[in-house]
Amino acid sequence: MQKKSQEKQKLLFNENIIDVVQFGSSVIKEKPVNDIDIAVIYKKISLKEQLNHSQKIKKQLEKGFNLPIHIKSFDLYSLFDKGNFAREGILFYGKSLITKEYFVKLFGLIPKIHFTYNLSDLDKKDKVRFNYLLNGKKGKYGLLREYGGKIIAPGIIEIIPEYEKIFFDAMKEITPSLEMKKVFLS
Amino acid sequence: MNEKKGILEKTAREYHLSGTEELSKQRYNSAVVLFFKSLIASADLFLLIKTGKTPSSHNDRFNSLRNFRDIYDIVDKDFPFYQDSYNILMSKELAEVIKEDAEEVAGKAEITL
Repeated sequence: MQKKSQEKQKLLFNENIIDVVQFGSSVIKEKPVNDIDIAVIYKKISLKEQLNHSQKIKKQLEKGFNLPIHIKSFDLYSLFDKGNFAREGILFYGKSLITKEYFVKLFGLIPKIHFTYNLSDLDKKDKVRFNYLLNGKKGKYGLLREYGGKIIAPGIIEIIPEYEKIFFDAMKEITPSLEMKKVFLS
Repeated sequence: MNEKKGILEKTAREYHLSGTEELSKQRYNSAVVLFFKSLIASADLFLLIKTGKTPSSHNDRFNSLRNFRDIYDIVDKDFPFYQDSYNILMSKELAEVIKEDAEEVAGKAEITL
């Protein structure tokens, strides 16, 4: 079986490391995963030192995952650089392997996904199906309870990023009128 | 074997020289690619000396280098930059790091660049 999340293993890292962040498909439930993307975020030290430390972190992580590990090194400048195409993935989906929290919590932010749906064009049977999907039926949990989502306004639900695909795929099967927004709460 | 050794030595030096020229012209993506190629030529030379064989692919190279951890770690560390060099802008600092790594591996293969 593929190990997408790190097993309990104490990660040894040095004081120049701000965080070690898992991002990419491996942090989104039910996404096909071929490898584990890791970003190591450093204080301002030389690139050579960053790369050498990251190689040590990679060796440690290889014991906890059984998929290839792709490791990238950043300081806060290179992380936010517009040329860093992994930037959004790290900031929005990234989870700290040190704190087990979303990485952006470090900046006082919480990433959330807002799904806006419109059921007005659906027939009654599908409206009921949609309601059961979100809220459950006959003691069986719906998606909201199972994955910790909530309705924040009529037609808008809020979930955490790692369940994006589960919600999107299930809701899209019933209604084509579905929009997804990525937001940061403080 | 001697002919192969000669070719690898020549290519390691040629790529290193071209990389240095590109670095001086501030063409950092090209410099990264060339220094990495120099590094790989030296790594292959090292393998040829130690095992009598040269690898036929990157996978084969990684497998053979697993027995020589210090060189494996350098190649494994730098390879992603070579792969990314088509679509990500490389920095001067990175090109200099890979240049130093190419020189270190050349030293292990007992050649000077």
